[in-house]
Parts: sequence; C-alpha cells; structure tokens
Amino acid sequence: MNYIILVVFLGGALLTFFAGKINNVLQDILFLASILVPASLFFAYVHAGNIFNLTLGGIHLSLGINAMSWLFALIVLGLGSMAAFYSVSFMKGKERRGYFYFNFILTIMAMTGILMSRDLVSFFIFWEIMTWSSYLMTVYNGKDVQTVGIKYFVFSAIGAYAMLMAIVVIHSINGSFMIEDLVRSFPEMPVNMQILIPVLLLTGFGVKAAIMPLHVWAPGAYSNAPMAYTSIFSGALSKMGIYGMVIVMVSLLSYVPEGYWFREVIAWMGGITAVIGTLWAIKQDDAKKLLAYSSIAQLGYIIVGIGIGTPLAMMAGLFLAVVHALFKGTLFLAVGAIERQTGTSNFREVTGLIRKMPWTFVASLISIISLAGIPPMGGFVGKWMLYESLLTSNHYLLVIVIFFSSTAAFLYCYKFLFGFFLGQEEKEWANVKEAPVLMVVPMLILSFFSFLLGTYPGIILKPIDAGMQYLGYGITQNHLWQTSVIFNTWGNQVVLQPLLYSIIAIFLFFLIFLTIKSFKQTRYVTTKDISSSGEVPKEHENLTFSVDFMQPFMRAVEPVMRRQIDKYYTGLANGLEALFDFMRKIYTGNGQTYAIYVIVFVVILLLFKDILF
Amino acid sequence: MVGTPVLFIVIPLLAAFLIPLLGMLWKELVRIVPGLVLAYMLVLSVNLLNHVLIYGPIVEVIAGWRPPLGINLVFSAFSGFLVTLVVFMGLLIWVYSYRFKRNVDFEPAKKYFLLLMMLITGSVGIILTGDIFNMFVFIEITGISGYALTAFYTGRDSAEASFKYLMLGSIASTFLLLAIMIIYSQVGTLNMADIASKMHTIKPVYKIISFIFFITAIGIEAEIFPLNGWAPDAYTEAPGPVGAAFAGIVVKASVYAIVRYVYTIFDLSGAYDFLILIGLITLIMAETAAIRQERLKRMLAYSSIGQMGLVMVAFGMGTEEGVFAALFMILNHAIIKSLLFFSGSYLVYNSKHKYIKEVNGMSKYLPITSLLFALGAFAIVGLPPFAGFWSKLSMLTAAADSNMLFIIALVLIVSVVELVYYLRVVNRIYFFNKEEKTEPKKPTFNALIVMITLGALILVIGFYPDAITGILHKASADLMDKGQYIHDVLSLNK
Amino acid sequence: MNNTYFDLLDYMIYGTAILIILIGLYGALVKKSLIKIVIGLSVVDSGVNLLIVAIGYLKGGTAPIFSPGYLANPIKMVDPVPQALVLTAIVIGFGVTAVALALVIRLYRHHGTLNIDEIKDLKW
Repeated sequence: MNYIILVVFLGGALLTFFAGKINNVLQDILFLASILVPASLFFAYVHAGNIFNLTLGGIHLSLGINAMSWLFALIVLGLGSMAAFYSVSFMKGKERRGYFYFNFILTIMAMTGILMSRDLVSFFIFWEIMTWSSYLMTVYNGKDVQTVGIKYFVFSAIGAYAMLMAIVVIHSINGSFMIEDLVRSFPEMPVNMQILIPVLLLTGFGVKAAIMPLHVWAPGAYSNAPMAYTSIFSGALSKMGIYGMVIVMVSLLSYVPEGYWFREVIAWMGGITAVIGTLWAIKQDDAKKLLAYSSIAQLGYIIVGIGIGTPLAMMAGLFLAVVHALFKGTLFLAVGAIERQTGTSNFREVTGLIRKMPWTFVASLISIISLAGIPPMGGFVGKWMLYESLLTSNHYLLVIVIFFSSTAAFLYCYKFLFGFFLGQEEKEWANVKEAPVLMVVPMLILSFFSFLLGTYPGIILKPIDAGMQYLGYGITQNHLWQTSVIFNTWGNQVVLQPLLYSIIAIFLFFLIFLTIKSFKQTRYVTTKDISSSGEVPKEHENLTFSVDFMQPFMRAVEPVMRRQIDKYYTGLANGLEALFDFMRKIYTGNGQTYAIYVIVFVVILLLFKDILF
Repeated sequence: MVGTPVLFIVIPLLAAFLIPLLGMLWKELVRIVPGLVLAYMLVLSVNLLNHVLIYGPIVEVIAGWRPPLGINLVFSAFSGFLVTLVVFMGLLIWVYSYRFKRNVDFEPAKKYFLLLMMLITGSVGIILTGDIFNMFVFIEITGISGYALTAFYTGRDSAEASFKYLMLGSIASTFLLLAIMIIYSQVGTLNMADIASKMHTIKPVYKIISFIFFITAIGIEAEIFPLNGWAPDAYTEAPGPVGAAFAGIVVKASVYAIVRYVYTIFDLSGAYDFLILIGLITLIMAETAAIRQERLKRMLAYSSIGQMGLVMVAFGMGTEEGVFAALFMILNHAIIKSLLFFSGSYLVYNSKHKYIKEVNGMSKYLPITSLLFALGAFAIVGLPPFAGFWSKLSMLTAAADSNMLFIIALVLIVSVVELVYYLRVVNRIYFFNKEEKTEPKKPTFNALIVMITLGALILVIGFYPDAITGILHKASADLMDKGQYIHDVLSLNK
Repeated sequence: MNNTYFDLLDYMIYGTAILIILIGLYGALVKKSLIKIVIGLSVVDSGVNLLIVAIGYLKGGTAPIFSPGYLANPIKMVDPVPQALVLTAIVIGFGVTAVALALVIRLYRHHGTLNIDEIKDLKW
C-alpha cells in the first residue's frame, strides 16, 4: 500500500504539471486530488504492519511506517493538505503554476517517502528529491537565485553528502543499508565510528533543521519561496531534520557512552540557535524574514528538547514540533495572504489591516499567542514541558538561555501583530479586502488546532507517546505527560479547561464591553489627528512606532549580532573561488608549456618511481 | 553469431574510405552511409555482447597468425560493453549531426563524416585489440582524426586548439613507442596476454619505466592532470557533436587502455594507488578550474575531465566493486555529458565565443533544450532519482568498503563545487533575462530526438538501474579475471 | 633478446638515438617558432625509430629475408618485427607532420605570426 501512495503522488505531480496546458481549473482539481487522495489513503490504509520490499540496482530497499514516522506524517500531510487548499487560491493568476504545483506535490511525496523509508538509501533518495524540489521553490520568484538559492542548495548538499558518507560507511561496516541493522549493530561498532557516524548524520539533519552554524541558508530560502510553500517548508520540511535527529539521538546515541556529550552539545547548539534566531527576528522589517528567523529560533527549542532526551524533554520537543508546524504554518500563510492583498510584506509599509482582513488577524493572533507560549494555546503546553524537563534534568543555565530567548520573542511577536494589523490606517490600504475564503479557511483550521492543543494536549500527546514507545522509551500505563507538574496540579486530561473557560469569559466580557461602548457617540478622526509635544505630524510622516521601539534592546545585543556566521561563510566561499581562479592559471594557453608539463610529469615519476611503484 | 569482432574495424574503416567515392555517386550517401554502418555495428555489438555474456569471450585471430605471433582481437564482456557504448554514442552523434551543414556544400559534410568514422574505428580498435603495437596504431588513428576534427571550423581559434592537441599527441606517441619497445626488448612479444604471462620475468626497473611511459602516453589522451592542457581547448573549439564524441568515445577508449595496462598487462601493486592519486589530482584541478569559467563548453570540458578523474579513482580501488562503479560512471558520463554538450551547444548556438552569460533566459525560447540541460546538470552531480546517483552511490560504497574515508570526503567536497557551477548555469537559463545580442536557435528535429533519447535514458537508469547493472557486473568480473584473459587468448595456440 | 655483444657500437647506436630524441625535444620545448617545433617533433620521431631498429639489431645478422640458401647455410637474422614496426611508425609520423604543417599554415593566416607565445587565445 505504502508505495502506491508514492506512485499516486508522482503520477499526480506529472498529471498536474501537464494539465496546465489544457485548463487551469482542471489543474487545480488535479493538484488538490494528488495531495488529498494519497493523504487519505495514508491515514486509511497504512499501518505499521505493511512493508514493501524492493531490490533496485542490487540494493535492498524497504518501505514501511512506524509510530514515530506516523506522527511526522501527520504533520506533513495535515499541513500539506491545508497549504494545498490555500495554494489553489494563492496561485490564481500567477505564472509558473505547473512548476509550483509539481514541486509542491514532489516535496510532499519526498517527505512521505522519507518517513516511510526503512533503509538508508531510499531515505537518502527521498531526502535529495526533497532538497531539489524545495530548491526549485526557493528560486520560484527568480529573485537572488545565484545567492540565496545557491546558498540553500550548497548547504543542503553539504548536509546530504555528509549523510551519504555516513551511509556508505555504515554499509561498509554492516553490509546492509537497513536502519534497523544500523540500530542493532551501532553499540558494537568501534568508538571512532560511534563518533563519526552520528556527527555526519547530525550534520545532514542539522542543515535541514537549521541548527546554529548551519542555519544561514534558512532566512533567505524561507522568505524567497512562495508563502504557500514556505508554510510547509518551515512547518514540515524542517521537521524532517528533527525526525532524523530523533532517530540518531535516541536510537543510536542513547545506547553508547559517547551519547552524553552529543546530547549536551546538541542541546546547547539548540539553545544558541534559539537565541540567535530570536535576536535576528527582532531586527527584521520584513515579515517573511522575521518569521524565517523565528522558525530558526523555534526549531532551536525543539532541538533542545530532543538533545536533552529525557522522556519529558523528548515529549516536549515533539509536541513543540507539532505545534510549531501549526502556528508557523498559519503565520506564513497569513503573511502570504497579506502580501497577496497588499503587494508587500514590510511592516513599515503596511499597517492597520485589522478591519480589512479580520479573519487573517484572528488566525495570526491565535498563532502568535501560541508562538509566544501564552496559555491557552498549544505553544504554552510545549514550552512548559520543556522548562520543566530542563529543570528536572538540572540544565539550569540552558533554562536561562531559553527563557531569555522566549522573552525576547515577545518583541517580535508584538511587532508582527502591531505592524500589520494595528496602528494607523493608511489611505494607501483603504481598499484592501480580506483574502479569498479558500485561503482564510485553512488558516483558521490550523489556528483552531493550535487552540485545541492548548486545551486538549492529549490529542497529540497520545501519538507522541506511541512514537516514543516505539523508540524504546519505557513508558508505563500512566501517560508521561500526566506526571508533569502542570497537568498534575490541575488534575487529568482535561486540565486546561478551567483556564480556557475563564479566558473565553474574559474575551466575551471585553466583546460585550466594546460593543456597548461603540454604541456611544464616537468622534471619528483621521489617523493624523494627533499631536505629540505640540507638533502636528505631516501627511507622510511614518507614525508607526512598532518598527523601531526595540532600538535600545538592539543596541544592547549589538556586539553579539555583529559576529555574523554568514559573513565567515561568504568570506570562505569567496576565498575559495579566488583560489580556484588562481589555480586554473596553470592552464596557460601555451602549447609548449603543456608539453613541458608532460616532460616534467615523466621526470617526476622517474625520480619517485621507487616510492610510487 | 552474426559476425565477428573484426568487422568492427573493417567496416567503419572501409566506410571512411568509401565516403568520398560514394559522394561522387550521390551526395546524400555521404550522410546516409555512416548511419547505416553505425546502426549495423550497433546491432552486431549487441548480438555479440549477448553471445559473450552467455558463452564467454570471443578471441579473433587476424590473417591466420595465432597469438602470440599475430594480432588478435578480444571481444569479452568488458571490452564488448565498451564497444557497444562507443558505437551507440557514435550512432547518436551521427543522428545529431545528420543535418549538419546541410545547406552548405557537401565538402565539409564529407570530411566530417569521414573523420568521424576514422575516430570511431580508432576508438573501437583500441578497445578490441589484443596487441600493444596495434593499439598504438589505433591510438594514432584516433589522434589524427581528432586533430582534424578539432580544427574543423576555420573561423575560430580551432587551429590553435588542434595544434596543442597535436603537440601533446605526438609526444604521447613517442612515449608510447618507447614503452612498447622496452617491453618488446624484454619479452620479445607484443601480444598483451603473452606479455602479461611473462611480466614476472622482466626486471622491475624496465617494468616501471615502461609503465611510466605508458601511463604518460595514454594519460595524455585520457586527460589526466597535468597532461590535459589540450583537452579544454579542443572541447571548446571542436564542433558540438565532436565535443560529445571526445567525452563519450575517445576518452572512454583511452581509459580502457590505461585500465588494461594496469589490470592485465602489468603487475605493479603501486599502479592502483597511483591511479587513485592522479585521479584525485585530476578531479580536484579540473572541477576547481571549471567554477570560474566564462565559456560554457570550456566549463563542460573541465567537468568532463574531472569526471574521468573520478572514474580513474574508482578503477584505482582495484576491487570488483570499484570496477563496477567505474564502468557505471563511464556509462553515465557518456550519456549525461553528451546530453550536456548537445543541449549546451544549442543554448549558445549563434554565439562566437560561447560565453556562459549568453544562455541567460533561454528557457523561454528553447524550453525543451533548457529542460534537458537542467536534467543533465542534475543528473551529473548525482541527484536522485537520476542516473548519476546510482553510479555515485556505487562508487562511494566501493570506496567505503576499501576503507578510503578521506577519498570519500574529498570526492564529496568536490561534488559540492561541481554542483555550484552547474546550478549557476541552470539558474541563468531559467531565471535571468535574455541578453540583447543572443539569438536563440531552435534545435533541429534530429538533435531533439537525440537529446530526448539521452534524457529518457537518464530517467530509465535513474528509476530502474537494474536495466544495466547485470551487464556491468559481468564486465567488471571479466576485467578482474586476469588469468582467464591470458588463458582465453593463448589457448588458441594449442 | 639474448644479445651478448654489448660493446661500444651498441652503446653508440643507443646513445645516438637518445641524443637525437633529446635534440628533438629541445627543439619542440624551447624554440618559439611553430615550424621549429614541428621539426623538433619530427626529429624526436626519427630518434625513436632509430632506437627501435637498434633494438632489433643483431650483431653480424643478415637481413630477415627467407632466401633459398638459408636452410643450407643458417646464419643469424636480425629481428624483423622492429623493422616492421618502424615502417608503420614512420608512416604515422609522416601523417602527423603533414597535419601539423597544415595547422601551422592556418595559424599563420589567422594570427600573422609563428611565435607560439603569441598564440594563446584559449587559456585558463
């Protein structure tokens, strides 16, 4: 069954691509069908039991799922379906629709394939398909292809090749590409291999998960891809890196003594990633860039959880992974909607959209609250578990780091909300309409789930439990999350309901209050009808204070920000290219010189013949 | 059996000499005859290969002189596979260049096809022959037709490129002759199998010196660094299909010669490590030289040299896995690099200097050609699910099994460089605006057929590598079995 | 070969051949004129050919011709194989030289010079 899903995806991608030559509506329908049909087939028919084996090129390939990959498939296919609905509207009237749809489906296929892979070769094949299809999306706009696009592909390639090296090394030791054989034989491998293989694999996964020194591709790639795609790029594709890291950290490293250091280092790298991502996010004026850096930061939290690796921390990491897919997916979709309706995604230009795009606002609000980790949203539950796991495992310093990053994140959360939706209503945006239904509904559905998970976290904690049990966490009949402080204090599974009800009550109260207030006589003025310190602002003065209010904070962290890793990479790349450019001067163009090379070659060989042969 | 291996040499050679005469009868024959000959050779080689895979190698004795006295041809799984590949590429090149210069007078076409047939004769001869002096003759035939084909266009700097090629080529022939004579003076025979069986009797110093001369001579043709100064120039200045012929035919034959010397004739243990060493140096120098190239064909040329370096590394492992990987890479390289040369030469068709920037925005004007170029670029850097991935995987697996972690790392790092320059070109094709001066030229129907065939092959091998791996396994086993080779050839004596 | 007569003459033949090769290489590698380079390459060829013939030479041997009186009065023949090879090599060398000269003419027309240092439009 599982391979049929991949075939349906692939066939659908090709059909969709060529359908564009016939009819656009047909293309839309085919596109939706080729995402939704395999997705529903997956949830209806695929279970851990069915395994598909295939021998290709003398290599044994095997497809099947387990409880852990099912969890990630839920993220991929769920978010993918929502983004697919959104895309249909989003792509209306744009060019290169076939290209977009083809790569969209291919990415979803590749991610499903990764999750199904039971051997390293098919894992790698799908991983690379995912890489190049997502690369083709980052260059979709044709903007900065030689810089941003190449950077993404080069980092991906470095990661993928590190992974490939690990794969062939594993094969040379095991004689098998199967993941289960790797897991079985890993504790008996020589110590240097026990270090080399995880390092290589984690490099590969770390690139996709945008972990700290390997994250520099992410802001450009996330913000250059079409937003409908970035939602799965950031929400689901980066989770493939997390998925791989979970396997390495748990299935391999928890059985060897070196694992301790790996866990500490990875957790700290996650922490630093979170801080750096947050600081850079605060600095951005473009919502896409802001969300891209915010993604990096959020992935940092997830990595911290996975790196610590205690049952609660792992659960927190996985829960955050799901929640992050929900709220970051929504936010990217929201930015896409705003960009589509206004033509820009810059806070300095767009303000006061709350009345123009109310539903987009609602979705963004819920997601931002979830991102900031405020109850009653899912993000709160995840972060709470993360703090708790850090404290119980004595990582106090890391708690401080995470806490700093979380708090600083409020700055950009506020900036995002205020910048777009609140503030003065400019004349320029007077005619902006709400996005089409097909775009709004997926956002609302996703944000509804953010909300739901805050109240009923058990919905997703059960599959996480199952996944963790598959990985070998010995969990008793008591669900782990019930031992958490927050759940214990408030009782059982429906713990957060009182909180929810009180918040709904407060919300309703304010609604009623505001409604009553609005019945009173209100004096409507233009947005420029204010004065500060006796000065009346001029017509085109930008009064949006939302963009610069954190200047003092930014000055304080400036020394950290100045050391951009990106600059070092660029310097390295330029230096290497200059070196290569110099090296090729050896081809002087003079035939006689080439002939002299030949003679020199012979003479050298004759001189060193005793060493060489 | 429908024929014997000697037909592979007689028929194209005959055709080459008959082409001018037939042209007097009917001008179109000049174009048709090479195609018929190549098609016949392809059928023949596929048949023989089938036969050989089942019944074992065919050793053909020429003019009744049995080995080791006479010249013999060996059509085994290994050489048969390469001959089939060469003939297949030759046929594609013929289809591609069938309408070549159609509207001009038929003189250029006559010369072109004559030389192409000579080139194929020489290359096939190098692969089939079992006699080192005979191999020298075929190398010279290939060389001379190569010089002439390089200088084919009169308007460009082609004479310069050709002269460099010729200079190095004649130095190569000098060293080759010296090496042959050292061997001959020691063992008194020119037959490969006979030499191989008597190799242990030669004093090591003569053995090593002759090996050094051999590797230098053939290394010039096989484009190893630092003997490959001619190669980028020749690829750049030769007509598009000839560039593909160099990459797909001539280099393959030369690599075959090196491999035959290292694996069968000589028994130097250091030779394998030496292959890895020069292979790596070639790979690194060529791929790094490619990244800042301004001309498309020159970039492809350096990339081609780098790929051959990689093949050399794989051969240098000395294991059957390594040989398998090398043969797989040879096959993929022939297919993919030809596709890149074919589509690339249409992307910069009307340009004098073939600058890379002239491909800007061509995707709007030449959608299929651009797509195929992109496919080729993705395939050659080894992205799945295209053909190049499987050969890269088998190469790395073989390297890992030989415990060469450092080499794996180096090869992968160089792959990143390769990725960068190919992506830059593909990005230019798709996302840049067209330069004002460039005039897109629609590919001819024939060219389109060839390119689509090659593109389809890339996908077929990519999705179903088993289509080819069976033959490759037999071919690599055949190369590894040196004793069997000697036995097969010399047993004809009895 | 089982040549036991290693006297001065042998050394002289080998020495001469190697000297000719070196002279030719000097011409090809140092001289700047294209014509001189071609001449140098031809000289190298001649040197190699001489060396090959010398290898097949047998002191006091006769021409390798199967004459009627051979069986009656068997005397040593020189090795015929190198001679055959040299014939082939000479023909090939001739062909290469012809192509080279043709190219030199083209280069001269194109560049207006025979200096190889000035003919490097294709580089790097």
